[in-house]
Amino acid sequence: MDAKDILGLPKHALPVQEKKYKPPKESQRKPDGISREVYALTGGMVPLMPAIDVNQLKRKSQNDKISWQWLPFTSSARKDDLQLYHWVRVVNGVPPTGDYSFAKYNKSVDVIKYTDEEYEKYLSDPAWTKEETDQLFDMCEQFDLRFIVIADRFPSSRTVEELKHRYYSVSRTILIARAPSPSDVAGHPLVKEPYNETQEKERKRALALVLSHTKQQERRDVEVLAEAKRISVARKTIKAPKESELPVISDVPVGIDVDTFTADIVSPSANSQITSSIVTNSVSETALVMASLRMLHVYLRTYALEQMVQAASSSAGLRTIKRLEQTLQDLGVNLKPKVPTKAVCSEHLELRLEILTLLNLQKQFQHKEAEGSSYRDGSYSETPGTPTKRPLRAADLDRTFTPDSLTFGGDRFGKRDQKRKGPGRSSEAPSSPAQSKRPRKF
Amino acid sequence: MYGGDEVSAIVVDLGSHTCKAGYAGEDAPKAVFPSVVGSIDQMEVDDPDNSDKNSVSADSKPKGKHKFYVGSQDLGFRRDHMEVLSPIKDGIVVDWDMVESIWDHALRKCLLIDPKEHPMLLAESCSNTQHHREKAAEIMFEKYQVPALFLAKNAVLTSFASGRATSLVVDSGGGSTTVAPVHDGYVIQKAVSTSPIGGELLTDCLLKSLEQKGIAIKPRYAFKRKEIRPGEFQTVDLDFPNTTESYKLYSQRVIASDIKECVCRAPDTPYDETSYSNIPMTPYELPDGQTIEIGADRFKIPDVLFNPSLVQTIPGMESSLETASTIRGLPQMVIDSINKCDVDIRRELYSSILLAGGTSSMQQLKERLEKDLLEESPQSARVKVLASGNATERRFSVWIGGSILASLGSFQQMWFSKSEYEEHGASYIQRKCP
Repeated sequence: MDAKDILGLPKHALPVQEKKYKPPKESQRKPDGISREVYALTGGMVPLMPAIDVNQLKRKSQNDKISWQWLPFTSSARKDDLQLYHWVRVVNGVPPTGDYSFAKYNKSVDVIKYTDEEYEKYLSDPAWTKEETDQLFDMCEQFDLRFIVIADRFPSSRTVEELKHRYYSVSRTILIARAPSPSDVAGHPLVKEPYNETQEKERKRALALVLSHTKQQERRDVEVLAEAKRISVARKTIKAPKESELPVISDVPVGIDVDTFTADIVSPSANSQITSSIVTNSVSETALVMASLRMLHVYLRTYALEQMVQAASSSAGLRTIKRLEQTLQDLGVNLKPKVPTKAVCSEHLELRLEILTLLNLQKQFQHKEAEGSSYRDGSYSETPGTPTKRPLRAADLDRTFTPDSLTFGGDRFGKRDQKRKGPGRSSEAPSSPAQSKRPRKF
Repeated sequence: MYGGDEVSAIVVDLGSHTCKAGYAGEDAPKAVFPSVVGSIDQMEVDDPDNSDKNSVSADSKPKGKHKFYVGSQDLGFRRDHMEVLSPIKDGIVVDWDMVESIWDHALRKCLLIDPKEHPMLLAESCSNTQHHREKAAEIMFEKYQVPALFLAKNAVLTSFASGRATSLVVDSGGGSTTVAPVHDGYVIQKAVSTSPIGGELLTDCLLKSLEQKGIAIKPRYAFKRKEIRPGEFQTVDLDFPNTTESYKLYSQRVIASDIKECVCRAPDTPYDETSYSNIPMTPYELPDGQTIEIGADRFKIPDVLFNPSLVQTIPGMESSLETASTIRGLPQMVIDSINKCDVDIRRELYSSILLAGGTSSMQQLKERLEKDLLEESPQSARVKVLASGNATERRFSVWIGGSILASLGSFQQMWFSKSEYEEHGASYIQRKCP
């Protein structure tokens, strides 16, 4: 109620009654000028835009006297004087004048007519007799240059291309011959672009070939193509690692410097081979990734980086990956670089690879230590302190060893860990791989 | 109509099964009747009505005049010694007298017009010869005195009826099936292929098949049904020894073709005996009250269109198709016809295949044809079979095309007029009606 007051509407239900009366009135009324039935065809509703001016409709029938009569007519399109009859709208007793209204649609093509002398002079051709040429031109006129139909009805069997060639060359020759100077007709389409019979033949042959492939053949073709593609892709993948492996293996004794991803020199050592194998693996994987990325032509650098990371860490287990990521986080490096420029991405990848290498080497070290410890227990009698004099290890090694030390046993390891935790994380990425690559002497 | 200008032309389409005649500008022919005549040889019957005709020539001519009975009403009434003959064989007219009587009946009795006042449009078969066309022109101008004439090919008229200038027309009528490509309003003569398999052959197959099963179809005149008790009828056989064999066959065919139209369907896959041996039978009541069951024949008969060698499996029909091995099925005919045409128009032909003719209104024929063509046609061509949904339109599509053509304003310049005939002779028709 209050709302109604605010809006200014009347309180009582007066509008309802008004609405009842309005709709019936509107449909009963109809615009003048058109009959009721015609108006009903529109659905009883007035169209938005009137198609015909209403006033015009009534006006027409008032002034003239219109009758329809059955009258004869002739057409200028006919050569004889046949008189047919049709209904004609006669206005005030005066029949309409003028030619038959459909005579203007009688259009035909201008086919060149040559005389006999012209034929003798320019147009004689060994492959065509005069009668044939005459007949060709006659049919061209009759069929309005529908060459397919002409070829169908030509008495001697000639192909569509031969007929076209003869017709266009004759027309062209006559045109040039009759012109006062060659430059006059240079713009004429016939002169500018002569009919090329061989090209047409070739095109038709190709089209026929395309159209003769039935569905079964298509299916077989598709299968063959798919098979070929698979073989070529397989070949490429076999080739890529082979290519990257070859230079690496040859360089092992000297030093590896393949791409920008490999780290530094590998000191010739027993472990270097292991390292090189890891590096080789990573290199070969990145080479594969590069190959696949090249297929894309356009790609985002972050996408590329992800692929490389995935490829690099594919050889490592899930645990190792987790450790790697943990390491990165501890070092304060984002798992995904914030500003992925080329330099940043390559450094990031390098870092990852180095950490991966580190972890792998640590694991190997563990194995060796375990072996060594079992030996030592047996044969050697070194002081427990000796191991502490070993050079510093990366802090993250603590974590690596903690779970293993429990299994391997030995208080030495545990002590070392406790000692290690003190200094905190001091070692950095560059130093650790170098250290870890140093051979361990037992 | 925008392009239309009626000159009250008459369109006559004399097919091998029915003759259709009517006014141009209308959407269906007014006169539709079988294009066979019942002829009684005047020499045998002493008919007082025709004594004036007889007095002139009957005794001198050894052949004798025939009295022709045309139209379904006259044919339906059985007369002694009346032979049923067809003037059309393989799509071409062989007997001009009969054709004249048919035209007479159509123009004077059915349409009630005077041919002198109306230009005439005749539909002719695609393989009509020059000689026949000249004869038709001669009869029209000399006997009927039409003011103007035009002879149009069936395929072109069907194409125009669907509003296209280029299409491939598959016309399966009573006597034969014709596949003709039309390009820009002209038939490509070298690519036209015909096959003698038509509606009448299918009717004969059905008749023989039913006879073999022991069902005898009694022609309508051969029995009378008496009402013994209210609602119950008893059939009494009547015997008319003077009825000719051809008339009996004709009457039986009428009934068999009705069975065929009601019951037969084109199968979705090629017919083979084993898969169709267990389908449910459809009942059909014959005019004499007998109810028959039709099972596998429902699908076997229409499949003859696609696989003509099936005819030889029907006993009694082995001899009807002499060269059955060389006759190809419908899809094969379509593909052969298209391949004979120029390469450039093949795609367009594939995408506008039109079905026409009485037999083409068989159910599922369009779908089956499309399916078969998709298998055989090239991958890059889009196959589309078009047929108007209305069965009447399919049957009369040639006539409808003629009606459209004769009432166009721009066609009025193309008539072959009487003055041109008198000036140049009948051979000029080749020029005027290409």
